[in-house]
Amino acid sequence: MSVFDGLKFRKVTSPVHNLDPRMKFIYVIVIFVSAILFSSIIPLMVLFVMQLPFVFVAKVQKQWVRSLRGAAFLALFIFIINIVTSYFGNNFTLLASNIEAAIALTLRFVVLIESFSVFFLTTSPDHLGLALEQSRVPYEFAFAFTTAVRFVPVLAEEAQTIMDAQKARGLELEKGNLLKRIRNYIPVLIPLIVSAIRRSLELAEAMESRAWGASKKRTNLFSLKLHKGDYALLALSIGVLVGAIYISFFVSIPTITSLF
Amino acid sequence: MALIDIKNLTYTYPGASKPSVYDVTIKIEKGEFVLITGPSGCGKTTLCRCFNGLIPHFYQGEIKGEVTVAGINTFERHTYEMAKHVGLVFQNPENQLFALSVEKDVAFGLENNAVDREEMRKKVDWALNQTGIYEIRERSPHEISGGQQQRVAIASVLAMEPEIIVLDEPTSFLDPLSAQKIFDVIYRLNKEQGITVILVEHRLDLTAKYTDHLILMDQGTIRLEGDPREILNKEETRLIGVGIPKATLLYQLLKKEGFQLGGKIPLSSDELAEQLLEALEHR
Repeated sequence: MSVFDGLKFRKVTSPVHNLDPRMKFIYVIVIFVSAILFSSIIPLMVLFVMQLPFVFVAKVQKQWVRSLRGAAFLALFIFIINIVTSYFGNNFTLLASNIEAAIALTLRFVVLIESFSVFFLTTSPDHLGLALEQSRVPYEFAFAFTTAVRFVPVLAEEAQTIMDAQKARGLELEKGNLLKRIRNYIPVLIPLIVSAIRRSLELAEAMESRAWGASKKRTNLFSLKLHKGDYALLALSIGVLVGAIYISFFVSIPTITSLF
Repeated sequence: MALIDIKNLTYTYPGASKPSVYDVTIKIEKGEFVLITGPSGCGKTTLCRCFNGLIPHFYQGEIKGEVTVAGINTFERHTYEMAKHVGLVFQNPENQLFALSVEKDVAFGLENNAVDREEMRKKVDWALNQTGIYEIRERSPHEISGGQQQRVAIASVLAMEPEIIVLDEPTSFLDPLSAQKIFDVIYRLNKEQGITVILVEHRLDLTAKYTDHLILMDQGTIRLEGDPREILNKEETRLIGVGIPKATLLYQLLKKEGFQLGGKIPLSSDELAEQLLEALEHR
């Protein structure tokens, strides 16, 4: 079940992993907003390069490249659409500036994907759940989130077991056309869903037995505290946001084609 | 007054045609090590759910009789109030752990009870140490073995410092060595911390020797109750289909052949070995 491998969580520590997820999220939003403010290639390249130190300090290069590769198809799609529309819009001519604009818009998409992937690659689900709780998200939601993450490997294993059992009885999963193949998975899905429901009942029982709902305001074994690094990241976020707004409104940005 | 006092309990699950437990009356004293056994489907699990009020609060259905645990009528209080008095450990270790790390799981009950962080830390560490899993406290539940998972489940109810711990077939998913470790932990909690233990088990070979009070169930009723040595030596017990300890069986066989052993009826191979050695010396 290589599909689920990406969803497994591991405890990793690095200066980036240890940052407060709330601050990281603010940073992601700032990058997001900045990327939308610009539509020319130079500032977008700057935004792209700005993420790289985080990737390397957190040592998540491999996963990061994999997530970008996943986005490559959509990026290519955006690029082609842009080229085609400007080609037809300009009386069937294609200028160098049109190509540059297409590249810039593709790059914008890549920056958006990149910032979110850095966030999720460097934030443990445990931390994220804690951040949700401390951001006054109702505990039920934070709990649902962490429990879902907790049971991903369990369900993946179970799906594998059911698949093996059904194959042993002669079920052929990789046979027929696309529609047939999807239909082949029904004998796997039904037992999986039934056992998940049964599992959820047992889980509810265990929660009840461990004083779920005993007090309105529950406490937590851990709490997120802001450290120096988090304040630095916040300052950086504010700086980037202010800089981006200033540049996009008051500075005329040269395009690469106009430089030559 | 007994710590657990059940009077004429009859319970039927919603949609079931006949009751799962029928006219059950039990008294359990503080500090006892109670073993409940009997063939599958005899109502052991149902009885466990009655100890902390899961029945009748979580499961609807029809209930008659009276259940008093630690002086509280379980029909009138929420399960979360009972959680401070009764810790329930279930059969499948995987489905009772829901946090992303061992220590978060152990802290879960305390968090729900809004215990202060410092006090919580102390209690969590105590529970982790009592069950011998302090070293793996930062691991996630799917990275550890089934035996370790079950010890986490025990620690997570232990952290709430209950007077009673109920374990519903805690070792049915485990290998013999892990099972033995679980029983050692439970026995130590019973002897050192004075926690009343109610254990539902089929593995009598490993557990009978710890037991003060044996309850033998069959088809929703209590068939025999009391001293384990007496009960396990009865023909009736064997006919119900209980896995009588090998040592006890051997003792019975020897006795049948006219080989008299002194002392009490043995429940473990250690006890039997002692008696055999003694008998051989006197020849």
